[in-house]
Amino acid sequence: MTTPLTGPPRAVLRLHRTALIVWGLFVTGTIAGLVWLNTVTADSARAKSARCDPLAYCADPFANTSYSAPISWISTFICYGFLAVAAWAGAALIGRELEQGTARLAWTQGVSPARWLAAKLAVPALVLTVGGIMLVVAFRWGWAANRDLMGDDWAFADVFVARGPATVAYALCALAVGTLTALLLRRALPALAVSLGAMWTLNFFLERYRESFWPTVTRTSPPEFEASRSWWPLENGAIIDGRRTQDVPYWECDGTSAENERCLDDLGITGHYTTYHPQSHYWPLHLVETGIVLTVAAVATLIAFRLLRRRTTAPAVRKGASV
Amino acid sequence: MTDTALEAAALGKRFRRRWALRDCTFRLPAGRVCAVVGPNGAGKSTLLALAAGLLAPEDGTVTVLGTDPASARARVGYVAQDKPLYPQLTVAETLRTGADLNPGRWDAAAAERIAAGGDLDPKARVRSLSGGQRTRVALALALAKRPELLLLDEPMADLDPLARHELMGVLMVQAAQHGTTIVMSSHVVAELEGSCDHLLLIGDGRVRLAGEIDDLLAAHTRVSGPAQGSLGDHTVVESRTTGRQLTALIRPTGPLSDDWRASMPTLEELVLAHLRNPDAPALTPTQTPSPAESGSGAASGSASGSESESEETRA
Repeated sequence: MTTPLTGPPRAVLRLHRTALIVWGLFVTGTIAGLVWLNTVTADSARAKSARCDPLAYCADPFANTSYSAPISWISTFICYGFLAVAAWAGAALIGRELEQGTARLAWTQGVSPARWLAAKLAVPALVLTVGGIMLVVAFRWGWAANRDLMGDDWAFADVFVARGPATVAYALCALAVGTLTALLLRRALPALAVSLGAMWTLNFFLERYRESFWPTVTRTSPPEFEASRSWWPLENGAIIDGRRTQDVPYWECDGTSAENERCLDDLGITGHYTTYHPQSHYWPLHLVETGIVLTVAAVATLIAFRLLRRRTTAPAVRKGASV
Repeated sequence: MTDTALEAAALGKRFRRRWALRDCTFRLPAGRVCAVVGPNGAGKSTLLALAAGLLAPEDGTVTVLGTDPASARARVGYVAQDKPLYPQLTVAETLRTGADLNPGRWDAAAAERIAAGGDLDPKARVRSLSGGQRTRVALALALAKRPELLLLDEPMADLDPLARHELMGVLMVQAAQHGTTIVMSSHVVAELEGSCDHLLLIGDGRVRLAGEIDDLLAAHTRVSGPAQGSLGDHTVVESRTTGRQLTALIRPTGPLSDDWRASMPTLEELVLAHLRNPDAPALTPTQTPSPAESGSGAASGSASGSESESEETRA
C-alpha cells in the first residue's frame, strides 16, 4: 500500500485493515445496491404493477416490495450501522489492546499514550465521516427517486437518521463511547456489550423524544379534517368545551348527518385538532439531534483522554490540578 | 546524558488496598546491567511499569534518565512479561509498526538483524511464533528504538535454555556496544548471575538489597562455628543452628573472632537469606557505608579483614 501516511496513523490503518475493508465493502455495496434498485428494480416493479389489473386476480399483489423491502433494509442498516461501530470500537479498537497488553507495547514505543489514542480515534473518525457522507448522499437520492413505490415517509425512525448528518454523528459517538467503555473496563467482550448497550439506549431515548426537539404545530378546526401525508402526526382528538381530549368515542356516532351532528353535540364536541410536525421541521429536528449526539461524543472523548492521562502520568506532572 | 539511569525516591504504588510497592528508594548508575530479583508478586513488574511510564505512582517519584518517565519515553525500551505483540501482523509488519510508532529513532537495520538472528520468517504471522521467537521479536522492537535504558520484565521466563542463552547474548552485545543500561527482573537468581553487575532485591513491595553485586557480596560473610558462639555486634541476616553447629549470614561490622570459619556467600545464598528473613535490615545505597575495598576486582574484599577467613572465589 503506498499511502502518504506515516507514523502512528499508518500503524492504526495496518492494525485495523480488516475493519477498513469491511467498512469499505459496506459503503460501496450499499451505494451499488441503491443504484441498482433505483435503475433496474424500480422500473420492473412498476411494470409488474401496471400489468396487474386491480379488478382481476393479480399474480403479484406485492410487486412493489421487490423494490421497497430492500430500500427499507438499506435505511435500517445505514441508520443503525453505528451499533456495529460501537461494538467494534469497544472490542477490537481499544478493548482487545488493553486486554492482551498490546496497549502497553504501543505506549512504550516513542509516542505518548495520548498520541496513540488520538491516532486510534482520528483515523477511524475520518474513515467513518467520509464513508458516512457518501452513504447519506447516496441514500438521500435513492430514497427520494421512486417515492411512489415506497410506503414510508420522512418521519420513520431509520429514514429520519439516514437522510442527514446524524448518521455520521451517531457513528462518531459510537466510536467515542466504545473507546471510553473499553478504557474503563479494559476487556474486549464486556466493553463490546456495554458500549453496544449504551449506544442502543442513547438512540432509544433520542428516538423516543425526537418529536420534542422542535416546537410542534397544532391545527384545530370544527369539522374533522384529513391529515396531510407529509406530516408527522403526534396527537389528534376532539375538542370538548375548549379542551383537547383524546379517546372521545365520536366514531360511535353514526347514521344520517343530522343524527351524527346531534350525537357529536351530545358528546360536547366542538371541533377537532391535530398536533404534528410538518415536513419543514425535518432539518431543525434532525440538527438538534445531531448536536446532542455530537455533544455526547465530545464528552466521551474528553473523559477518555483524561482517564488515560490519569492512569499513565505521574502525579508530579498533574500535581497542579489536584491537592 | 546523566550518569543515573534510574532513580526512585520513596516510590509507592497501591492497587486497591494493597501496596504493590512501598517506600522504594534506590539509584541505578548508567551503563549497568541490573537484576531486579524477588519472589512472585514482590512488586518487580510494578516497579518496571512505573519506570516505563505505564503506571502513575501513588507516592514518591521515579526519575528515568534524568527526567520523568513520560519525557524519557522515546529513550526507554520496555518488554512486558507476557511479550504482547499484535497476533494478526506478520513479523515484518510488526517491525514496520515499530518504525511508525518511533518516529525519528528507529533503526530498521538493527531490528531486522535481531529478528533475522532467530531464523524468523518475516512473513510469518506473530500468532504462529514460538515463545522464544516472540521474545526475539519483542526484543527487536525494544532495541531498534536505540534505548538508553532497557526495562525487561521476566525476559527469559518460558524460554528453553538454548533460546535463553542466545537472547542473553543479544542483550549483552547491546549493553557492550551501546552502553545501554539494562534492568531485568526475574525470580530465578541463577538466570541472572554472571550477566548482571547490579542487584535490586525486592520483597513484599520493599527494597531489601540494592547495589553493585560485588559490593553486596563483599559486605556479607557466611560464617559457621560452635552453637554457643557469639556474633557480637555484627548484623545478622540469618542464623541457623544444627546440633552444635551454627551457620549464619552476617554483615560484619569489624574483624571476626577466630571462632568463626568465614566464607563468601554466593549471590543465591545472599538473596535467599534476605527473602527468608523479612525482618533483616535492608541494605540500600542510602545506608551503605560503601566498603573501601569494593570494586578491587576478584572477590577478595570482604569487609572484615580477618586472617582466619577462608575465601571462596566465585566462578
